[in-house]
Amino acid sequence: MSGPFAGFKWLALINDWTVFAGGFVQTILLSALGLMLALGLGIFFGLLGTSHVKLFKILNRVYVEFIQNTPLVIQIFFLYHGLPHLGIMLPVFVVGVLGVGIYHGAYIAEVIRAGVESVPKGQLEAAYSQGFSYWGAMIHIVLPQAKRISYPPLTNQAVNLIKNTSVLAMVAGGELMYYADSWSSTNLYYGPSYVVTGLLYLSLCFPLASFAKRMERKLEVSS
Amino acid sequence: MKKVHVLILSVMMLIALAVAGCGSTTDSKPAAGKTGTAPEIKAIQDRGTLKVGVKVDVPKFGFKDPKTGQIDGFEIDLTRALAKKILGDEKKFEAQGVTAKTRGPLLDNGEVDLVIATFTITEERKQSYNFSEPYFTDGVALMVKKDSGITDLKGLADKTIGVAQSATSKKAIQEAADKQGIKVKFLEFGTYPEIKTALDSGRINCFSVDGAILYGYLDDTTVILNDRFTPQEYGVASKKANTELAKVVNDTINDMKKSGELDKLMQKWGLK
Repeated sequence: MSGPFAGFKWLALINDWTVFAGGFVQTILLSALGLMLALGLGIFFGLLGTSHVKLFKILNRVYVEFIQNTPLVIQIFFLYHGLPHLGIMLPVFVVGVLGVGIYHGAYIAEVIRAGVESVPKGQLEAAYSQGFSYWGAMIHIVLPQAKRISYPPLTNQAVNLIKNTSVLAMVAGGELMYYADSWSSTNLYYGPSYVVTGLLYLSLCFPLASFAKRMERKLEVSS
Repeated sequence: MKKVHVLILSVMMLIALAVAGCGSTTDSKPAAGKTGTAPEIKAIQDRGTLKVGVKVDVPKFGFKDPKTGQIDGFEIDLTRALAKKILGDEKKFEAQGVTAKTRGPLLDNGEVDLVIATFTITEERKQSYNFSEPYFTDGVALMVKKDSGITDLKGLADKTIGVAQSATSKKAIQEAADKQGIKVKFLEFGTYPEIKTALDSGRINCFSVDGAILYGYLDDTTVILNDRFTPQEYGVASKKANTELAKVVNDTINDMKKSGELDKLMQKWGLK
């Protein structure tokens, strides 16, 4: 049997499974740390966006618009190839965490801002009338309601973040996509390589996406 | 449990896709008749143009001039000779830029008839594609920054070497390093310009690929070391099932070797 999916090509892949396993682990690590950074940045800048202080709002807009309107590839290239010319040589793993973290942080900031703003103003006013302070009202009244609305889009961001770590393959990132490219361009057994790689990404993203679906359904019932 | 079913279904669909892919390639094989022109060659003649995958980022071999938009080089001249042989007119070809990642799939799905793109012949690759006799042989070379002070492979001990994603150069350097008892690290990039960018930014200490390709990236800040490793042989690749086409290509290259035409082309491009 010949063609891109010939049997011996699958056998070769099974033989070299450690190559893919190593990349897979790296992708999981990158995604986990990237997600933590993205959540931290997202919550911080998202709350800045809901603030009444003009400067905070401007900071939020600059970050969100600048990151959302430039391609992730360019941002990664800047971190990887650009910074060394300024004397900053970040390891490629850090480039990855910073790259996807900052990129998705901007999207998460919007999710958080939208979540907080979706809570009717009356809730905050009612809280004030009961003697809550601004932060007291935020923590006990507004954020718990915003959280419910933000969860489904947040999980979508997590799924996108995992998939976007594959951009790191362009700068020899040592994650799953890099090893898939590396392995299959040497022996040209690209058929099995990309099918298996796709399935591995699916195995990470699908459970998360279904979790998001479930959250969404729960939300419909409770609201 | 519905989700599990969906997952199983999607996996099954993928497998079905894979099997279908195999089926179509085996179907096309027996159609090749013994008499007259082979169907794959007839298809090219009916179409009136030879579709070839070439490099667009390798000066002297296949390079697209940003000013004129024209692709030219040693491998393009070779394409012209093949177009003349198959279609009787050296202008009847369509060149398409390929990379290490795309050249295999483009052959498999019939998007190109031939790949003439600094494609190194290996035993492993011969299982997937037909390769012609080598039309060019070159050793793997090393390019470093002038100010790095590195003069040979030994100087690269524990350093990082950037190679292209088609690791024949990686294997060659690895073997040489093993012999000398030194350790080197490798990073793989998709295209040559990316490796050069990584060398400039200091991400890698050395840019390694076949010598003739490397000369296209030489500038004031870099130097190419004298060492050469495991000769790499370039061949013209065609789809595994297209055996008749492979034969015509092979004959043409052998004729060009005998007549000295191939040597003349190499001289024209300064590759000798």
